[in-house]
Amino acid sequence: MTEPAPHPLYRALLRLAPAPLRHQHGGEMEALFVERLEHARRHGRPAVIRTWIYGALDLLHARAVAWTRRDTLLTIAIDERKAFMIGSDVRFALRSLARQKSATALVVCMLSLGIAANVAVFSLINGLFLRPLPFAHPDRLVYINETAPKWNLDVVGVNYPDFVRWREDMKLFDSIAHFSVGNFNLWDGQGAERVRGASVTWDLPRVLGVQPIVGRTFTADEDRPKGPPVVIIGEALWKERFGGDRNIVGRALRLDGTSRTIVGVMPASTSFPDEVRLWVPFAGDPHQPYQSYDGDAIGRLKPGVTVPDADRDLKRAHQSIWDKSDKDHIVSPFVTPLREQFVHDYRTAASTITGAVAMLLLIACANVAAVMLARALARRREMGIRLALGSSRLRLMRQLLAENLVLAAIGGVIGLVAGQWAIGALVRMIPDELPRWAAFHVDARVIVFSLAVVVATVILFGWAPALHAVGGDVRSAVHASTSGSTGAPRGRRTLWFLVGGEFALAAMLLVCGALLVKAFDRVRHVDPGFRADHVLTFSVPISEGTRSKPEQWVVFWNQLLDRTRRIPGVDAAGLVTCPPLGCHWGNFFTAEGARPTPDGKDPVVLVRLATPGYFEAMGVRLKEGRFLREADEQDKQSKVVIVDETFVRTFWGEGASAVGRRIKTRGKDQPWITVIGVAGDVRHYGLDRPMRPGVYFPQAADPSATMTMAMHVRVDPESIVPAVREALRQIDPELPLVAPRTMEENLRRSLALRAAFSWMLAVFAFLAFVLAIGGAYGVATYLVTQRTREIGIRVALGARTTDILKNVLGRGLSVVGAGVACGIFGSLGVGRLLSDALFGVSPADVSVLAFVVAVLVGTALMANGLPARRAARIDPMRSLRTE
Amino acid sequence: MPDAALKPAHFYILLALSRDDRHGLAIARDVQALSDGRIRLWPATLYGSLEDLRGRRWIQEVSDHPADESERKRYYRLTRAGRQALEAEAEHMSRVARLARSRVGPRTGEAG
Repeated sequence: MTEPAPHPLYRALLRLAPAPLRHQHGGEMEALFVERLEHARRHGRPAVIRTWIYGALDLLHARAVAWTRRDTLLTIAIDERKAFMIGSDVRFALRSLARQKSATALVVCMLSLGIAANVAVFSLINGLFLRPLPFAHPDRLVYINETAPKWNLDVVGVNYPDFVRWREDMKLFDSIAHFSVGNFNLWDGQGAERVRGASVTWDLPRVLGVQPIVGRTFTADEDRPKGPPVVIIGEALWKERFGGDRNIVGRALRLDGTSRTIVGVMPASTSFPDEVRLWVPFAGDPHQPYQSYDGDAIGRLKPGVTVPDADRDLKRAHQSIWDKSDKDHIVSPFVTPLREQFVHDYRTAASTITGAVAMLLLIACANVAAVMLARALARRREMGIRLALGSSRLRLMRQLLAENLVLAAIGGVIGLVAGQWAIGALVRMIPDELPRWAAFHVDARVIVFSLAVVVATVILFGWAPALHAVGGDVRSAVHASTSGSTGAPRGRRTLWFLVGGEFALAAMLLVCGALLVKAFDRVRHVDPGFRADHVLTFSVPISEGTRSKPEQWVVFWNQLLDRTRRIPGVDAAGLVTCPPLGCHWGNFFTAEGARPTPDGKDPVVLVRLATPGYFEAMGVRLKEGRFLREADEQDKQSKVVIVDETFVRTFWGEGASAVGRRIKTRGKDQPWITVIGVAGDVRHYGLDRPMRPGVYFPQAADPSATMTMAMHVRVDPESIVPAVREALRQIDPELPLVAPRTMEENLRRSLALRAAFSWMLAVFAFLAFVLAIGGAYGVATYLVTQRTREIGIRVALGARTTDILKNVLGRGLSVVGAGVACGIFGSLGVGRLLSDALFGVSPADVSVLAFVVAVLVGTALMANGLPARRAARIDPMRSLRTE
Repeated sequence: MPDAALKPAHFYILLALSRDDRHGLAIARDVQALSDGRIRLWPATLYGSLEDLRGRRWIQEVSDHPADESERKRYYRLTRAGRQALEAEAEHMSRVARLARSRVGPRTGEAG
């Protein structure tokens, strides 16, 4: 006979077995298992899986035997007639569960609900925070940018000459690359399309560790000013436009009016930056006379280098720039982990949702525990009799465990399936906000997490309470339940404790959910400062290849305005550089007679250029003076400006008159500009975001190649789009119409994340509420049933209906009251953590708290009242005959 | 000894050792064969049972195992007490079987 090969996994599992057994027989146990395994292999995969399950259960069983050694020593001689055969336990469990259909269904429902919610949310967290980025050694990738705290700017963008200096002087980085995301007009002879692309330095693929599918990446030679016009396209564009032709290299692509040669195709899975469809060389000039502060940088650290070390290394490389041109250290570089850069918007929402869903699971668990405990108490007599007849406690415990494992298996499977479905729904709720690389399908991590949740739930909340049934001594178990009185006070106390706990958790969740919904409602009712209905916006980017001079742009914009105004149904049309909820362009201003700011820092001012018709089209209100006129447009150097209310408040104080005052951009020899009007505040960054002071200059003062058109229309805005498209095509067929959307749509999108977050929490709160009420009802019903005989005696002895009602209700409501009080108290603390998302709604908002208390106590009154009424109507004769 | 059954696992292990000395792996194979494949002893159950039986002095470890087998295999032998327990169990089982046959059989369908 040959020695079977040892099996490392089983050897690891052996740790489950009690130590003495393992030490004495470990080797032989392994040999026996390996023999079983080899035998099973001949019968296919299911047999192998079965063997592993039996093998593991066998070890667990041995551990359980060791734990209850004292018991088994006493009862071993009169032990059950069956050997360790799991099949019989499971069959018995199924029979026992099938007998109690409603309780079983209840437990399975609650388990699957809790598990489904957790699986869904964990998949979300996993996709966003845990799953590695699709690049080699993603932990070594970092994001690099520059910050200017003294200018009140968190991120200023990377100045290309700075980047070049870092690349030369850095020591702890393997490589770094600069990239800048932008949009390109793609023209293929028939239709124009606006595509998202990036200008990147040639070393980006090296930093990411990615390879093209076809062709090659850029060379250092192509990444120079006036380098050859080349382009790399993404897999999606390659398939859409070129049908996945492998002989693509060398063909031309017309971008922004310039023809570029395709040199390679990058795979879709490793597309970077997010949602980019093509790449062109950055072709920066390290000796550029100006400072660009545009774009971002990404770096790969050398193995073992930490982010703080890398940050110090980068600042050291930056030292020569500080010494030479920035003695005040205005701008300094920083390094953060790459993932941090992309998920940081979701962090609060994600941790809140995780907390909420964990609470939901706890409530579901408390419910399962309550049902199992109630069952256990009801089965004390059965178990007592079986114990008296010589069954061992161990055997009964094992059978209860089998019951719980069966429940867990059913609940777990339903929960997993439902969770998968729910994750789909969740992701759809947040349409285009999530990063592209965040994938949410099930992976090993999700499965391990779900299994751990299921097993922990069942062992802690199913099996442990069930053990009540076999605890205590045999005599009292049999005696207590035969007497028909309300035995097992300890079990009852535990039941009430569980119900109280559920209500506390449900109250906390309900308060948080209601606060967020109230905050969302408040945000939705914020005055945006512009007209949302019947306003259509879209932007048009002029290709600088065909129109390179600003004068040509002005002509173009005037042509476009002319033609769109002539479309039937259009009331007003105007152009702006940055529409509300769109982009941001900032600058610093000095105002005549300005008050000092509270923090001593210069505020960033939002700068927009607009045509006269814009204010009317967007519905911006006039507060003082006048809006822009055609005549203002004639000035080459602008002499007039419109400021908004926040600007007035920030620089001159509340209620000051601004018309006639003068401002200028910061810096030497800047001309003074006169304020001619004050516009109403527009919620430029979103309804729930803080305002910045803002100004509007006439468009001709500094013509822009990309502008957004706003049109106020009398008809359905969507119906106007084809006419607009046609108008644009007549001027220049190569130009695309970008993102034609109504302002209502833009508003909705800007609130999508908040909406998803608030409603998710509200849904969890509602589920928690349903679970808690269900639990309270179940427990109350059970306890009343247990007391049927006692109540019957009371009624027979002359107790009135109200006495019975009072008696039954009193206990239930005091428990609920205590639970709700604890929950409200706890929610005050939790609410403070949420305060960032509450938009000024106080965590102790009286109407919300009162609502939650009223709902919980009101429904708890019903949940306890129904069984109480049933109890009060008990016919004493019948109740005494029960049992 | 009270009038109660042995665990089947214990019974079959004793049965497997009734002819000659065996080591654990051989016992497991024997038990499976003796029970027509109905009882498969998993490692922890087998060796746990062997420890139990040894604790009751129904079996003992033997050192005079054949020289060609490897050193770490332990052989077990039925003791006099073990043999008595096995015989008592066999007697008990046949008594139970007789009893059952006398009750079950001609009378059918009494309970509704």
